[in-house]
Amino acid sequence: MSVALELEGIRKSFDGVVALNDAVFRARPGEVHALLGENGAGKSSLMNVAAGLYAPDAGRIIIGGEAVSLSGPSDARARGIGMVHQHFKLVKPFTIAENILLANRRPSYRGGMQDIRAAIKKQAAELGFDLDPERRVEGLTVAEQQQVEIVKVLVGGVRILILDEPTAVLTDAEAERLLETISGLAASGTAIVLVTHKLHEVKKYADAVTIMRGGKTVTTLDPKQATAAELTELTVGQTAPLPARSQRGNTSTMLNVGALTYARPDGRVMLNGATFFVRAGEIYGIAGVSGNGQAELAETLIGAREPTSGEIFLDGVGNVGNAPATRRAAALAAIPADRYAYALAGGLSIADNFSVASIRSGRYGSLAMIDRAAMRRDAAAAVKEYDVQGVRNVGQKAALLSGGNAQKLVIAREFSREPAVIVAHSPSRGLDARASAAVHESLLAARERGAGVVLISEDLDEVLSLSDRIGVMNKGRIVAEFDRPADRQAIGRAMVDHA
Amino acid sequence: MATPVTVEPAPASPHRFGRITLDMRQNLPPWKQAVFLGGSLAIGLVISIVILAFAGISPGELAGELAGVANADSLRNTLVQAAPLILVGLGASLAFRIGFWNLGIEGQMMFGGIFATAVSIAEIGPPSLRLLFMGIAAALGGMFWVLVVLLLKTRFRVNEIIATLLLNYVAMYFLFHLLYGAWQDARSAFPQSTPYKPFERLNDIGFNVNAGLLVAIAGVLVAGWFIHMSRAGFYMRFISSNPGMAKVVGVPIQTVTFWIVAASGACCGLAGYVNVASQEGRLTQSFADGYVFSGVLIAFLARNDPIVVAVVGFLISVLFITGQQLQVFYQIPFTMVQMIEAIIVIAVASSEFFIRHRVRWIR
Repeated sequence: MSVALELEGIRKSFDGVVALNDAVFRARPGEVHALLGENGAGKSSLMNVAAGLYAPDAGRIIIGGEAVSLSGPSDARARGIGMVHQHFKLVKPFTIAENILLANRRPSYRGGMQDIRAAIKKQAAELGFDLDPERRVEGLTVAEQQQVEIVKVLVGGVRILILDEPTAVLTDAEAERLLETISGLAASGTAIVLVTHKLHEVKKYADAVTIMRGGKTVTTLDPKQATAAELTELTVGQTAPLPARSQRGNTSTMLNVGALTYARPDGRVMLNGATFFVRAGEIYGIAGVSGNGQAELAETLIGAREPTSGEIFLDGVGNVGNAPATRRAAALAAIPADRYAYALAGGLSIADNFSVASIRSGRYGSLAMIDRAAMRRDAAAAVKEYDVQGVRNVGQKAALLSGGNAQKLVIAREFSREPAVIVAHSPSRGLDARASAAVHESLLAARERGAGVVLISEDLDEVLSLSDRIGVMNKGRIVAEFDRPADRQAIGRAMVDHA
Repeated sequence: MATPVTVEPAPASPHRFGRITLDMRQNLPPWKQAVFLGGSLAIGLVISIVILAFAGISPGELAGELAGVANADSLRNTLVQAAPLILVGLGASLAFRIGFWNLGIEGQMMFGGIFATAVSIAEIGPPSLRLLFMGIAAALGGMFWVLVVLLLKTRFRVNEIIATLLLNYVAMYFLFHLLYGAWQDARSAFPQSTPYKPFERLNDIGFNVNAGLLVAIAGVLVAGWFIHMSRAGFYMRFISSNPGMAKVVGVPIQTVTFWIVAASGACCGLAGYVNVASQEGRLTQSFADGYVFSGVLIAFLARNDPIVVAVVGFLISVLFITGQQLQVFYQIPFTMVQMIEAIIVIAVASSEFFIRHRVRWIR
């Protein structure tokens, strides 16, 4: 059988961090080819190479038997490769037709519009989508926006369609419909690459599956021939046994989360009765496939989001309700995943960002007169203690710090108040190995001090190596708990269980 | 992080004159920003001068009129006019700093005037403290009228732009209700209140300076302290820079918002007080006319900084007084002055565009 897309020996690193290391991939026309792997396994990076977004450091891209080098996404598109990203690339105030015209240029606007409208109608009819080209994107549901993305790529004459976790944003019924449509599209000769975490989708819809781990291709096989357990094992791999830790004598509970629920404004339930507790001197890891409510859990715990129902009890405080200031007073520290959303004001200075959390204590002046000298002094000391690099003076904007150093600044501030409970969400995301190690050391030091740490991370290795106990989050609730040393395979199964 | 974000180039245009592309600029040194700003301002002024020339005022005559501001009488008028302008500029700046779009400046001024006049009519307090009481009442009046909107916004998510703007009309008709009814001066057929007693008026204190200007300067100092030195001002920067983060680190967003919006209303109330107690000497029906636009303009040109507000407020006052003279001597309608204001705003606003983008013409 012929090969539509072949990737050979692809290597790619970002600032010294290796994302792809000798990755291999081969998709045939007319098949749905699943690409399976954990977060950070390199699935999206590999497909971004194929779609012309990343130029590989080494390796060959072969399209239809011809080795090519792609100068960019439009070059890839011209060669018949199109990708639908997880985050849609649509101009919201524009209509469907305008968006599709934008991605598929025509020599003139007026003629192009007519041409595009006809092409949308034809393509949508073939796929069974109900899309009116004149509707504005901002009025569409997520599923409809995804349909627009697919039509956008197909109108350009794409023969290899890459879908990056297309079902992550859909309800089960919508996902089912989409996958049926895609199977139909493959049957008409298009090669489909389905990047996913979900085993049941792979088992049911894929003709072939390639499994990636740590930037490498593990194997390619026929999913119908393998059991779910085998696939899970191949995906998560084996790790060296972890050293057992001494349990601390103190077993008082620092944080108690009871039946926490959160429904998004569009009605989708993201937290569905999440319940767990964290003891003093313990790191409680929360593992799970991304999109199962971890982000919402973290945001609810740190007070950025109001839960629909449920309770958050802090030791010595009681239910904290939705007043972040109460949490602060109770010494809850927040290390959010998105530093510039919830941890730093990029436009303000390092000194301001450092001192804002404890200004209430009166340490930095009275209500009437703030003490800038004290802010600068403490910030400078903290910058030194936590080894925040790239700081010429603490008056410079926080936005100028690199990811790792911004994270160190956040940790310096949060730990300056001797927190009793720490909520850390993907604390080492986007950091290099050294910065990650520094972050992990800080969390372990807090554990030694007797703080209760909640570590929410989509990086299973991070959770396994740091946690005393691990809860697995699936569809907005904790579905299983494991004591250290936890069984990686069992955690992997609990993460993907389609209950 | 420092690499410029480039808009993906469009395919080569078939047209002969090439195409124009826009690049985002990350950072422009302050002196270059000043050059763009000054250049735009100059263009705005040139356009204004050309329009005035068409209206029959030659640039020479215009220069003469502007120079005339320096004479004692005009200078006094300019300083009297500057006081309410500075105060509404402060009111707008404070609210804009936390993204509360207070367009109810006129309504708040009217309530300031109404509350002050109520103190005068009810003869609250001894004569020696009457002015002070009127001032306090005016500040409370302005506060009251803006806090109604804050309540609507926080409780019912009513958009403050619409609410403040429309409540100007409610305030206006309430003012008319008083001036055509209970508070109308019995000795006059005009819709205005009985004149204030001499000790209820803001008088000149020498050097062509009216006491109203002292109120404005006090406002500038207090607002400067509030924004740059107080803890609330420190919190305020986080609320405007990153509200999500401010919430998580425990900034008392609601309390700070309440006091800043209240201070904004108080400044506008005081502007009303200064107008009725110095210029008019009684409550009239038009003492607040046109101040929404002027307040927004001053805050915008001053980038919401209280000290700069004082300078810009004075310059706008020069424009006002010159405009009034042109009106008298050249029969130029006052709307012309407002048009010049608008031209300057558009010029400055467009400089923002050039500060943020690089425009290139590619052939």
